[in-house]
Amino acid sequence: MSALSHHPTEKRSAPFAGWRPRLRAGFARFAITTLAGLILAGIVHIVTILAIPALSLRDAAHAYRELGIEGHAEPIPSPGNARGLPALREADPNVVTAICSYDLSAGPMRVVARTGTLPLGLTLHRQGGGVLYAITDRAAIRGTLEFLVMTETQRDERIAADEEGETSRELRIVSDTEQGLIVARVLMRLPSDRADAEGLATGVACGLAN
Amino acid sequence: MRILDLAYILALGAGLGLGSAHWAVAGRPAIGRVEVGAWTAWPRSGSREVDPYMRAYLARGVHLPFGSGEGLELIAERDDAGQALDGRCRYRLSGATPPTRGWTIGITDGDGLPFRLPLERTGFTDSEIVRPEDGGLAIIAAATPEAGNWLPLPASGRFQFRLRLYDTPISSQTGETRVANLPRVTRLDCR
Repeated sequence: MSALSHHPTEKRSAPFAGWRPRLRAGFARFAITTLAGLILAGIVHIVTILAIPALSLRDAAHAYRELGIEGHAEPIPSPGNARGLPALREADPNVVTAICSYDLSAGPMRVVARTGTLPLGLTLHRQGGGVLYAITDRAAIRGTLEFLVMTETQRDERIAADEEGETSRELRIVSDTEQGLIVARVLMRLPSDRADAEGLATGVACGLAN
Repeated sequence: MRILDLAYILALGAGLGLGSAHWAVAGRPAIGRVEVGAWTAWPRSGSREVDPYMRAYLARGVHLPFGSGEGLELIAERDDAGQALDGRCRYRLSGATPPTRGWTIGITDGDGLPFRLPLERTGFTDSEIVRPEDGGLAIIAAATPEAGNWLPLPASGRFQFRLRLYDTPISSQTGETRVANLPRVTRLDCR
């Protein structure tokens, strides 16, 4: 009887004794693969975040690449415009914005803005994100804001070409990308200022520097 | 089994990595955010040293942030008591604005777009408001008409106040700005 009663428990404990290490090994394997997956997720996350600005074709620099290539700034398109350009997101309705797209492969660009009574700001947005430079009309000299946008190589060439012993008075801004946008914003204090604001914003000249 | 392990690692890595990256830059990122009272700003979004998350967020749409020194945008999604802004309530904006060449204050939805309301008044500039004797700010935001500087709100739902400061010295030191230097957002009552 005793042999009969002990037999089934022995039979039951034998397979459990075999499963426990297997379960432990399976759990360890699951933990290690999950940890490896989490590390890979971290790498994918970082690479994705860093790659989005370089790969994006929907950013402002791509969307407005055709604006202001004829020597003066062009106003940003309104929603549903005929050219099919996307509207600026989070734009202030009380501000007139005009854009000059730049491509420094042909040479440095000279930007000249006349100032008026309304607040005017000029910013240099590099392709891939980041504002390289910002200036407002308070820095204007005799009612004019003027600066040159160039690559580092072009700046070195310009410095080498400068007259020896003479200090150049031009303001040189170095862009680390060849493409980008020059953005002019003019604040309309009152709705009746719209014509003046548009005149100031689209009056920004941007052409090849000699 | 090894192929299964590898597939699990790749699926987890790609899914979680891409999903978390999408989630992190779907809206304005928490990194680089500065909060002053009810107002939130991202002052470094317009600089050379913009952080990678903000750079990725800006690259996913047609954004042109203010340059540091050009201006600063502050967003309020909650009132001073911490309650979410709701079109069914009336709000008073009062107090002071920082030194600036000009400012605008407007009502937008969560994406920064103005609401399409019967009355075409989406915001005020500093030249448009009527000021009380002390020269301060007194704007009432409500869905129904109010005397004085009235900003119409949508009949219901969430909205944001956007305060844009042009040519202001606080753009480079937003974190050190005191609450008293920015407009207070007070809920008056709700329907």
